[in-house]
Amino acid sequence: MRVDASRFISSGLIEAYVSGLATSNEVQELERGMTQYPEVAAAVNDCQLDMEQYVTLQSKTPPADLKHRIFHIIVNEEAARESGTLTTETDTEEFPETKVYVSSSWRWIAAAAILLLLGSLLLNYVFFGQINDYKGRYEALLSTQNTLASESNLYKTRVEQMEHSMDLVKDPSMKTVKMPGTKPFPSALATVYWNQQSKEVFVMVNNLPEPAADKQYQLWAIVDGKPVDMGVFEMGDHHELLQKMRSIDNAEMFAITLEKKGGSAVPTLDQMYVAGKAS
Amino acid sequence: MESAFTYTESELVQGLKAKDQKVFGYLYDRYSPALYGVALKVLNDESNANDVLQEVFLKIWRNIDRYDESKGRLFTWMLNITRNSAIDTLRSKAHKMDQKIQDIGDDVHLYTGNLTVHPSVDHLGLSKVLEKLTKEQRIIIDLAYYKGCTQEEISKVLEIPLGTVKTRMRNAIIQLRNLLKLV
Repeated sequence: MRVDASRFISSGLIEAYVSGLATSNEVQELERGMTQYPEVAAAVNDCQLDMEQYVTLQSKTPPADLKHRIFHIIVNEEAARESGTLTTETDTEEFPETKVYVSSSWRWIAAAAILLLLGSLLLNYVFFGQINDYKGRYEALLSTQNTLASESNLYKTRVEQMEHSMDLVKDPSMKTVKMPGTKPFPSALATVYWNQQSKEVFVMVNNLPEPAADKQYQLWAIVDGKPVDMGVFEMGDHHELLQKMRSIDNAEMFAITLEKKGGSAVPTLDQMYVAGKAS
Repeated sequence: MESAFTYTESELVQGLKAKDQKVFGYLYDRYSPALYGVALKVLNDESNANDVLQEVFLKIWRNIDRYDESKGRLFTWMLNITRNSAIDTLRSKAHKMDQKIQDIGDDVHLYTGNLTVHPSVDHLGLSKVLEKLTKEQRIIIDLAYYKGCTQEEISKVLEIPLGTVKTRMRNAIIQLRNLLKLV
């Protein structure tokens, strides 16, 4: 198959022509191709036959009286034609053929103007398509860029938080208090980091179940056998990092209980998840 | 007026050019359902479709001398007259372009429901074809063929880039043709 003919066949022009989508320029281009290459004409004809099959599948019988109405009109017309009374009703609306003569110089100018206009329209069309294409690609890149930037910010924050936690843990005065799970919650585990110099206390959740929406975990220090409130903490995204709690000078034990949101004044002992000795 | 025998296409054309009413009757019986189907799909209204079909057959009868056999088959010529008349009527009913787009939009929503295939025509296997086309493939073919939409209008209605309308159409028609082989 010749290169030009196969270009027509793979361009989508035939499908556009058969479906009625082709612009008048495209119609002219394809019709030239059909007279030039028999294989293009055959491809158009095959596609048209299939489209006509699709159309025929959607057939519906018109109302019965319509045929009589049409025949009534044409029979009357024929009778009038034979008796010569028909005012030659040549129907030209479908195929207007008007001839206007103008001087040849104006014809050249008009032809040139039309060519320029067509050229400009074609360029408009081409550039408009390109601009739309670039706009789409630009927007896609922009949204990818935004996604990457926000992801990168997220990672940056996480790294900073982790570095901060590492710095705290690296401090030689930091004491680690491991709090294993109590009997009812054997798999629970949390750790208290207690700076012996600054007396600051941090908690790290190793394994605690996600609390219900109206509940929060609360850290307690046991001082002289009595519980001291060290504050509540959130799970959320932070559960892998150290969270700062209240500072305390002395404590024999630390424990975590599950309390109502905001914390309680005294611990709910049957909801004690973890506990560990400080010394 | 049912015809007991068939005509070849060139016999049909000769008969019509000779103003043979029997041939015209045969033509009507043979092709009016297909042409009526087109008018109905374009207009979505039986009374308007009746008017268009009457206009179409009068045009065929009066203008058969303008049909040029070397330029295509008779059915193609009649289909084009029907599509053009129906789409002209559609446009004169919907004066503004906005209105037209609106109508198309409404039609698009029709496609989201069940396929509206008339049970009496379904023995031809239409629903088999339609259900295997994607919604977008059905809509793009119908917007161009039955509603006379331009590439720009289709790009707007389907919210796809102008540059891809022809490619989508090509894929839709290729899929349609593959399915038609199975009917």
